[in-house]
This record gives sequence, structure tokens and C-alpha cells, in this order.
Amino acid sequence: MLQFLIRRLLWAVFLFLAATLITYVIFYVVPADPAKQMCGRACTQEDVARVAHHLGLDRPVYEQYGRYLWQLVGHQSLGTSYTTRQEVNHIIAQTAPVTASLVFGGAFFWLLLSIPVGILSALRARSIGDRAAMVFVLVGVSAHPVWIGLILSYFLGYRLHVTPIAGYCDFFNPSLGSDCGGPVQWAYHMILPWMTFMLLFAALYVRLIRANVMETMTEDYVRTARAKGASEHRVLSQHVLRNSMLPIVTILGMDIGLALGGAIFTESVFSLPGLGRQVLQSYSNFDLPVILGVVVFSTICIIIFNLVVDVLYAVLDPRIRLE
Amino acid sequence: MTATLEVEDLRTSFRTDDGIVKAVDGVSFSVDKGRTLGIVGESGSGKSVTCLTVMGLNDKRLATSSGSVRFGGEEILGASSDKLRKVRGDRIAMIFQDPMTSLNPVKSIGWQLEEAVLVHQDVTRSLAHARALELLNAVGIPHADTRISDYPHQFSGGMRQRVMIAMALVNNPDILIADEPTTALDVTTQAQILRLMQKLQDEFRMAIVMITHDLGVIAEIADDIVVMYAGKVVEQASAEDLFERPQHPYTWGLLGSLPRLTGQTERLYQIPGQPPSLLRPPSGCAFHPRCEFTFERCRAEVPELVAFGEPGHRHRCFLDNARRQQIWEAKKLEIKGEAA
Amino acid sequence: MRIRTLLPVVLAALGALLLVVSVFAGAGSAKAAAGKAGAFKKGGTLKIAISEGDFSNVDPGIAYEVTPWSMMWATQVLLVNYPEKTGTEGSKLYPEGAEAFPTISKDGKTYVFKVRKGLRFSDGTPVTAAAYKRALERNLSPEMGSPLGVNVQLHKLIVGGEAFLDGKTKVLSGVAAKGQVLTVKLTKADPTFVSIMAMQWFGAVKPDTPYTDKGLTIYPSAGPYYIKAHDVGRSLVLARNPYYKGSRPANPDQIVFTANTDQAQTFLQVKNGDFDYDAGAGSPPTEYEGLGATYGINKSRFFVGPITCVFYVAMNTSRAPFSNLNVRKGFEWAIDRPALLRLGGKYAGKRTDQILVPGVPGFKDFRLYAIKGADPAKAKQIAGNVSGTVLVRHSTSIANTNRAQILEYNLKQMGFATKDLPVPGGVYYPQLQVKGVDFDTAFAGWCADYNDPFDFINVLLDGRTIQENNNVNFAYYDNAGLNKQMDAAAAQFGDARAAAYSKLDFDIMTKHAPWAPWYIPNQRMFVSARVKNFIFSSYYTEPAYNAMAIAG
Repeated sequence: MLQFLIRRLLWAVFLFLAATLITYVIFYVVPADPAKQMCGRACTQEDVARVAHHLGLDRPVYEQYGRYLWQLVGHQSLGTSYTTRQEVNHIIAQTAPVTASLVFGGAFFWLLLSIPVGILSALRARSIGDRAAMVFVLVGVSAHPVWIGLILSYFLGYRLHVTPIAGYCDFFNPSLGSDCGGPVQWAYHMILPWMTFMLLFAALYVRLIRANVMETMTEDYVRTARAKGASEHRVLSQHVLRNSMLPIVTILGMDIGLALGGAIFTESVFSLPGLGRQVLQSYSNFDLPVILGVVVFSTICIIIFNLVVDVLYAVLDPRIRLE
Repeated sequence: MTATLEVEDLRTSFRTDDGIVKAVDGVSFSVDKGRTLGIVGESGSGKSVTCLTVMGLNDKRLATSSGSVRFGGEEILGASSDKLRKVRGDRIAMIFQDPMTSLNPVKSIGWQLEEAVLVHQDVTRSLAHARALELLNAVGIPHADTRISDYPHQFSGGMRQRVMIAMALVNNPDILIADEPTTALDVTTQAQILRLMQKLQDEFRMAIVMITHDLGVIAEIADDIVVMYAGKVVEQASAEDLFERPQHPYTWGLLGSLPRLTGQTERLYQIPGQPPSLLRPPSGCAFHPRCEFTFERCRAEVPELVAFGEPGHRHRCFLDNARRQQIWEAKKLEIKGEAA
Repeated sequence: MRIRTLLPVVLAALGALLLVVSVFAGAGSAKAAAGKAGAFKKGGTLKIAISEGDFSNVDPGIAYEVTPWSMMWATQVLLVNYPEKTGTEGSKLYPEGAEAFPTISKDGKTYVFKVRKGLRFSDGTPVTAAAYKRALERNLSPEMGSPLGVNVQLHKLIVGGEAFLDGKTKVLSGVAAKGQVLTVKLTKADPTFVSIMAMQWFGAVKPDTPYTDKGLTIYPSAGPYYIKAHDVGRSLVLARNPYYKGSRPANPDQIVFTANTDQAQTFLQVKNGDFDYDAGAGSPPTEYEGLGATYGINKSRFFVGPITCVFYVAMNTSRAPFSNLNVRKGFEWAIDRPALLRLGGKYAGKRTDQILVPGVPGFKDFRLYAIKGADPAKAKQIAGNVSGTVLVRHSTSIANTNRAQILEYNLKQMGFATKDLPVPGGVYYPQLQVKGVDFDTAFAGWCADYNDPFDFINVLLDGRTIQENNNVNFAYYDNAGLNKQMDAAAAQFGDARAAAYSKLDFDIMTKHAPWAPWYIPNQRMFVSARVKNFIFSSYYTEPAYNAMAIAG
């Protein structure tokens, strides 16, 4: 087990370096000039040079990357935004909880919906309910989250006034001047974002769970359990579910990565000030430190989450644990 | 005395996308306590489905069965699921071909053994645990007390099959149905398992129904034999009778294809052709396309089971008896080499 | 989990969700606020959204964009400022922080401002001349990281500026503050100086305001409002300055800005009254026609006003074919201004064929070229026989891609072949700023930093400013005679200055024609039902937030 962990950690470090390096390289291929952007329209060349020097942009690329890594590892600092000059650490600390609210809240609801629907669909395969569930899956997988979000917010928010149209309320410490804050408002504003976000994944998971359960039902050990005289309920809970849910754990780990990406769409539509929205703004401004900061942070999160999932899987599946 | 298990005119057909498949088409046999019945046949002959039908383990949405299955005098074919569950694992136990996939990979074998007990007996877990340990020792698992908390993938194939047997016997069943239990094992292990089963049969005084395609296995342990082809019984007799005086061309083919230790220099004999499609079975006798002695009647009519010779010996063939003896005498020489 | 117990759990969760939703359903429906006609009151919280954007910075020593400037208009006191008045009245400077316009020495090099008494910062500190000195220092200090005064060459204009910027001195020697008197010494006479002082960089700041290259997010200010709270990237709250005794309006109790909202959603929210105005990307362009039809223009909820910007097609005068004046003048007749304008949607702007725009001193409306539509016959006649390929450079935005198509059609009618060159928006200007860049025509726009014609004509067309990179003279035009004429006009003051620049505007367009200006954009603005007293500033391109009334 220890060896397994060490191997995974080393791999994680490698992934992290690769992700940051690739982002850095892509950025340098893009012909943008942040020094010029910061300086302004009528800056002379020497003024731009002055700004570039101040930002360290006149150094060779590998030196800049090295300084970046040193600043990251040695000082735990992700640098400063080119546009707002805020500490990137601070920007991430502000935006990450919003994205976490969306992603984890969404994950909770998508699992809540997909597990029972998937199981019921599998058990009553080809029934009316199953077919209806499959239609839902098709819609959820095909419809773009932006479209879903806009439709929901238009009808439920704008037309029927049942939920807010868009916007975010802080759970703790609402910012001064905002007219919303606290857990109730937070949840109220998150209803549509959660619904939008979870639809795609719920659909995918219903399909996955249904397939897994249906397949597990045909396994030999299920037949053995029945041959032992176990009740259908016992067969289901002790043998089928435990085994068919196992792959879900790994897939969940992978999907958190996807989810972080998909969060960009939902955050845009509902004006949630999260990592996704932040990175979109930073793209249009060529704000490398912030983009890199989000990449670094997301990479770390995904790596940690996958590590946790791997360990969890090893705990749940003795075949992995006892290699 | 009533036989422990009596099967009469059992039929099972499956609804498939391509049509109805008659997997079991009128099978009858019985088996008593302490005796072993061997069911022999190729893949697709209906031997496994017969036993699954007896246990009520077919998918109810796809399979329809008719006939009679009486266990200890009581009818269990089509019984309520509650009743069936009481019987399964308790009075009739079944073990399957591949012990790796037949055991739940994420539960310890101890847990699975205990489950077999707890499903049928209202006892504490520690009592179930003790019983499980007892059985593991009985089937010859070394260091059973530590190995009981191990997982299936930590055992070798032979050990796993022993565990399966232990699981099947934990409630002292009257009948053990074994569906190709040694097919996935190497020859040495196979021998060990068979010896184990015989030993346990004596100890537990149970009946065994052994399903296999391997005549060598049958020869070792069966008291009575049923030969199946295309869902029907084509010959049934006591083991001695079947090996001495086989009557059906298919049986001859099976015996002829047994490899021998002495004298054989040519290729192994194979029954020519393939097993028939059960969707569109051949007309008349299902074996006729592959039979070297086939004639007009075989194509036109379906032969019935007829008695022959010793009591309990039946076959399903139109050849007249004289001709049949002739053919068998000639074949006997071939099969057994020079007359002793 | 039993299957049978799963179902109730699922139903319970869904039920809980529906319950939460229904509790607020009632609250939501009460939101539609009906606007009332009549007098406006002080009070309430004005809610402004900034869609698809944010304040990049709010420190007066660093901020350089419309969004922070329009906010700072409500919080800062400048020596001279633009009034909260509509139309061209709103472009006329008046002395705010200063008692009167400065006295200027005869040689034009020394400016003396007398700072008005009675002004106080939001923490009660009185405003003295030192406050304005500090603003100038913060604009030129190397410790601020990106001194913006450089943009207007302030370091070369103020005595001691360069030494200060290079870190050689700790004190800006050309600026002296004694009590309420501020004295600024310039290296040369420059009539644009007063207009420059109207930029938000030069608002009064407390003399102990530190240098910081990050920019302050909160600081005391002397205007009608001050920044009470600032959650960078999320929201900014302005509250009324309790010490403000001036005459500028301060109608809302609070003004809250919410940044980085989605454009389309924000439009719905303004419709709904969740926001009062979108200071970011604004309404989706397809909405304007409907808004105009429903609310009329400049009457209740929909407002249209010109901004002090000119959009033009720069011609590359450094090479053929546009090195030839006649070809350039022919192009002025070939370009289809109305067609280009129509692409912007309803109320997009006003056609123009000159450099200066209304609100800039010296603007006089001339009718020179094809303003009503292209005249290809006349174009051919003036340009003569033309041949060759014209490289049409444009950004990849939908609007500019379509405009390029029209332009290419116009050029073909002159007799040219054309080649289309799309360039991604993020690098469009950076590439255009490089000397020798490959183009024949390029779309460009320019907005006033300060309301003086120098900022349009000299800055954009003086050939001597052309350098290897960072150019703004996109026509790359360098004419010695014109340069002299521009110098002469720049030296004038007051009415003489205005007249000189009027003539310059006319002369450039008739004798040099390095550009084909084609429109002055409008800002199209939509507000919630409760907003009253909407006053639009052409210079800030936004309404005066301090004037917007929302309480009844």
C-alpha cells in the first residue's frame, strides 16, 4: 500500500509539472504583449520596456518558468495578476469556494438523482420507466449546459420569478453592499446552477449505472448467491450494488476534472464568480499569472482528488489492495 | 422409497430475438440419496439448463418450463419464489464451472460461507463462522482459520472450487448439483476434487448430479448416466451398462473419442459435424445428420425412448436391435484395441 | 440500501428542493418595480452591473479605463471637471476643485491653481493643494510600477518629471503646494495642460497616500461618494461622502457595482429590475431596436448618446497605392459609410468624414465626401486608373469581418483587387502598432483621453512620433508641412486654438486625407424602471451615477 501511494505521489508531481509547463509554453506561443497592455496606448517603447522589466518579462522563457516554479514552491505564491495586480493566491482563495459550491453541490445532486434512477432502470429494463429514463439521458447528454442554463433561468427566473435569474450569494461573510448572504440565499441562488450543472452528469451516470447494474446482474457470483437461496433484496444490496458501484468511484474522480471544465459554462450563464469565470476573464486579458494560477490550482485539486479516489478504490476493492 | 429428486418430462424453452429455442425437450430422470447421476453431452445439449430449471434459476422473463420436478415427493417446478429460496442452498445445492467468477470478488470467502448459513438458519454470526471453518477443514483447505478471511483472488483454482463445495455443503443438502466443476481445472486437481466429492458424499450421505462433457470424469464417479443431445435424452443407463453395452450411435461416438493410453497412432476420433441449431432443429432424429448409420426413417420420424436390456436402460434410436449389436461388436474391438 | 427505501429518499430530496423554491416564489413576483413619473428623491441603493468585465484597478494612479473612470467621476474632486449635464454642455470644463481656471504665466510655462476651501475627504480631512501635488507624484513615481502620466508625456512636460520618474530625485521639483495654492512649472508652453488635469488620474488624494504598484482598492476621496467596500473581482460599494458640501448631486444612498456578470442574463435582470444599469458590455445588440420601439429614445428607459470617439479606416500612406493623395481622396468617395453603419444595428452612431467629433473644442461639422452613400463614379474620376491588390486588415470580430466585406466591395468598384486579412482581436492593435506592418487599409478607432483636439490630431497624425513599435499614427503619415501646422495650432490658446484646429481638421481631410473617418459611435443604454434623472456624459461614455435617482 505504501509503495502504491509513493508511486502515485511521484506520478502526481510529474503531472503537475507537465500541466504547468504546457500552459506556460502555450502562453508564450501566443503573440500577446502583457507589458504593452499594462502600459497603455500611447506608451513609448522605452516605457513598455520599463514595464516589461518590472514584470520580469524581458528574461528568457525558461528563466521565467524557473522563477515561477521557485516562487510557487518556495514562497507558495502564484504571483500577481497583470491586470488587477492582485495576488493570485487571493484571487484563487476568493473564487475557489464558489466553484466548489457548484461542483460539489452539483455532484451531490447528480448522484442523488442518478443512482436510484440508474438502479431502477436496470432492474426494470425495457419498461416504460426505463425508456423514459433513457429519453432523459439523451436530452441531458445532448443539450449544452449553456442552453439548459439559459432556458431554465429565462423561464424559472425571468418569467415565473421562482428563482433568481443569476448571481451568487456568499454562504459566510457576505460582502458589504450585497443584498444577499447566508446559507438560505446561497442555496436559493444555487438551485438553477446546480440543476444545469448536474443534468449532463446525471444523464451520463444514469446510463453508466444502469449498464453496470445490468451487467453485474448477469455475473456468475450473482447466480451463486441466488443458488444459495439468498432473497432478491440481499442479492441486490450485498452482491450487485457493491460491485456495480465500484467503477463509479473511479469515474467520479475523472469526472471531477471534467466538471471543473464544465463549471465554466454554468458559472458564465449564472454570473457565479468562480474559477471558471475568472479564467475566462483572464483569457481575454492575456493575464498569464491568473490563468497559470487557475491551472496550477485545478491540477493540484484534480490530482489530490484522484489520489483520494484511488485510495478509496483500493479500500473498497480487495483485489487492488492486496496485490 | 421415493427418490430424492424426480424429474419428469421437463421442458424449457427460451424466447429469443430470433425465435423460440427448445433447450430442454422432454427430460426425465431420478436420483437417490447416496447415488451419483452423471449427465453427459456436448455444449448446447441442454444439460446445464436442465439443472438450472430444477433450481428455478432461469430468467423468468425469457424462459418457460413445463413438466414436473419433485423433491422428496414435493413439487417444486413453478413453486413460489419463497418456497424455492428455502430449498436452494439448503436442500439442493449447486456449484458451477468457473469458481473465480462464481465467487463475489469483494467479499471474503468467510463472509460468503457465513452468508450461506445465515440465509437459512437463524444463528449468530460467530456460530456461522464456526460452521464455515468446519467446512473449510472438511474440504481440505490448509490453515483454514487464517485463510477464512482471505478473498477469492488469493486462492488457486483448485482451492476455489473446494471453497465452492464447502459453501454448497454448509447446510447439509440432500442433493449437490455440480455443473462442470472440474472443467476449468488441470488434471491433477481434477482428480483431487472428484475424490473429495466422493468422500463428502459418503460423509454427508447426499445425492450428486454431475454435469460434464467429459466421459472420463463420468466413468470415475457416476452410478447412473444420462446422455443428452439437442435437449433430449438419447440414452440412459447404469454406468456399467452404458460402458459395456452402449446402444446409441452418439454414445458410441463419445466412447470412440476417448483418448487411450495404448496403441493409438492415428488422429483422435471426432464425431463429424457440429451440434445442431436449437432454433431450427433437424427433422426427425436430431442426431441423424452426423450419424454414420442413418437411414430414411431417421430423417422422417422423431424416435421415442425405448427400454432395452437391463432395467433402467433406455435409448432413442431406430436401428433394429440385431443390427445394433453387430455394429457395437465391431466398434468394441476398435475402441478397446485387441480383445484382451 | 433497499430499493423501496431509495424512492422515499429521492422524493424527499426533490420535495425539499421544491419547498425551498416555492418559499421564494412569492418574494420573486413582488420584484417588478413600476416606475413613477414626477420629482425624484434621495435615497436607495443603485445597483449597477458590469457584465463581461470588471474594474481592472480603482487606484487613481493606475486606473486607465472607462469603467473605473466613470465610477471615480462620482468619488473624486478634480481641479477642473466635466459637469453632470447632457449634450455638448457636458463637455465644457468648469473649475471644481479649483476656485477658478488657473492663472497662466505669459510664457505659458507656469500654472497657478487655487484650491477651493471647504472641501473634505470622506474621513473629514480638508483638501489642500498638497492633495493635488500627491496625485501628480503618484502618476509619475517609479514605485507605482506603471506610471501613466507617461502616456501624456507628463514626465517630459513637468519640470523635474524625468528625474523623478527615473528615481533620481525623491521630490517632483516642478510642482509646489503651499496651503491652498498649487503651482506647476512646465518645461514648455502646452495648452492641453488644463484638459489633461481633467483626467481622473489627477483627482485629490490624501497627501499621505502611499505608493503601491498593486493599486489601492479602498481609499478616502473628496467627491460626493467614497469607496466604502471593495471585493476585488466581485463588488464595489460607494457610500455618500458625509463631508461633501459641494453642488454636485448625490442621489442614491449607496451605489453597488457587481462585476463579471453574464451579458445576456444581465439584460434580463435590468429588465426585471434586479439591476438598474449595465455598465459593462451593455444590452445585446439585437435588443436595441425593440427597446427603441418600446420606450422611445431618451425618454424613459432607453437612452442613446454620442461618445467622444471617431472610427476610421486608416490608409497605409507609406506605400502604394495609398501613398498617392488622389487615390486616397478617391477612396473617400468610394467608401460606403451608411452601409458600414447599418451593420452596427439600430442607433449605432452617426456618419462622419472628419477627424474631430462634437464635444471637442474646434469641432465644426464639414460635409466633405460621400456621407450619404458611396459614389464610385466620382471615386474613379478622382483616383484615376487604379490597379493592384489592396490588403484589407480587420479584426476577427463579427462586426469587423462584415465591415471588411463592404470595404472590399467598395474598393473593387474603384477598380482594385482586394485581399482580406483577418487578425485576432487580442493582437489586432499590437500588430498595427509595429512600423512596417503589412496592410493597405485597417479599421481603427480612437476615443478622447482628454477633450482637446491635440489628443486627436497631433497624437494620431504627427509623423515625428513614428517609432519602431507602439505607434498610434496608423496611417504612418509624415508630412513636414502638416507637422509644422500642427505645432502652430498646438501653441494656441482658447478661441484661437479652436479656430486653428477647425482649420486643421478641414485641411487634413482635404489636402492630406490619410484616413477615411466613417462614424462617431453612440452609447446605447437601458435602465430599470425606477431610474430617474439619467444624465449621459459623452466623455465618460457612461451616465453620471451620482445623479441617477431611484427612490420614488
